[in-house]
Amino acid sequence: MNREDYRKAFDELSFSADFQERTANLLQQRARELEKECSNMTFSRTKKMAVLAAACIALLAVSVSAAVLWLTPAQVAEQHNQPLLAEAFGGPDAIEIDETVESGDYSITLLGLVSGRNLDVLNQDLNKDHTYSVLALRRLDGTPLENETFDFISYTMTPLVAGYSPVAVNNWTLNAGASGFARDGLYYYLLDTASLEMFADHTVYMAFYEGGVPSNTTFTVAEDGTIAFAEDFTGVHALFTLPLDPSKADPAAAEAFVDSTGLNGWSNERMEPEENTDVEFWTTEYGEEPPSMLENLE
Amino acid sequence: MLLRLACTRLDSTADAEDAVQDTFLRLLTARPVFRDREHEKAWLIRTALQRASDIRRKAEQRNIPLEDITEPVAPESSGGELRAAVRGLPEMYGAVIHLHYYEGYSIKEIAKLLGLPAATVGTRLARGRERLRQMLREDVI
Repeated sequence: MNREDYRKAFDELSFSADFQERTANLLQQRARELEKECSNMTFSRTKKMAVLAAACIALLAVSVSAAVLWLTPAQVAEQHNQPLLAEAFGGPDAIEIDETVESGDYSITLLGLVSGRNLDVLNQDLNKDHTYSVLALRRLDGTPLENETFDFISYTMTPLVAGYSPVAVNNWTLNAGASGFARDGLYYYLLDTASLEMFADHTVYMAFYEGGVPSNTTFTVAEDGTIAFAEDFTGVHALFTLPLDPSKADPAAAEAFVDSTGLNGWSNERMEPEENTDVEFWTTEYGEEPPSMLENLE
Repeated sequence: MLLRLACTRLDSTADAEDAVQDTFLRLLTARPVFRDREHEKAWLIRTALQRASDIRRKAEQRNIPLEDITEPVAPESSGGELRAAVRGLPEMYGAVIHLHYYEGYSIKEIAKLLGLPAATVGTRLARGRERLRQMLREDVI
């Protein structure tokens, strides 16, 4: 017997079809009773009780639904017709992570990663190690994610390394390739980057967020080099720390890589948007709106 | 999630529904303050397990024969046999086994949810699995 048999045994259980409805009614009724019990309750507190009941009902819907079972990283690789990679994900070098962060309307789970050479049968970058990471995304309200409607390009999954600027070590500099697909209402990312093991003596992160190239509107870097999401970043986001083996680090290769990008600068301070400067210039210097391109042509 | 978790301690699905209903009523009336969603989830899991234990103890005090309150699923099914074995485990093992094998949580995550050291969760998982194996007299999980 295995995990599938266990799940099957508990999935056989059937509960009352009206359980959620009955419980929601009970919660609303109890909220009303509590309101009456507090005769001197102010309007705002009464309103709060109704809001609390609504929040409980919303949470109920999520909490009593059946468990979500993700594909394993090996199964995700198989879906991409990558048998060598699937085998590697089942091998001793694979790192199982299974950590979940809930952000906005989403639950983001980093399932695992594996590093190795020549694992990609479609794009064999000979003699170079790569790291492959798998992440799963689901909506907290249970709405299924689908290939047709999920906006893949609005999100970024990228490694970052403490001690190095997020503009120096990221998807773009690591020549990443990301692909995704939906299955059973969940959306899976498979990310292929240059090997992250050379950075293993630093804290290595995997970030997932709504947006594009890392910038100081998305991330902040502390004095000790640790990276975090900017406090005012409101998009969906998650930051995982990768449990890489420090003995596999190659500091010289890491330094050489960062030097080769020529991009290790960073400032947490943000500049005013350029458009505002332009408007300021035109309105103060000339006291009128800037001429349009059409006017110039005329 | 919570309904099936309660079924690791309760024979009847109706009792599991009562345990989960009580949990949400407590959430409404006690109005606990949560640090984040993980904290909220941990509170729900622990409260539902506690309520399931209370209901089970009350049933045992009333000396209701187990066969009178068993679930309507065919008892001869292998699933029914497994569920009965899980319910037969000491409570500290059943929850850990279920959170790992049904919900897919890692040892570290279960430790957070139940407020236990990860090493304790690992031990409970291993011992619970061993007991299940003995109870089912086959290689379990």
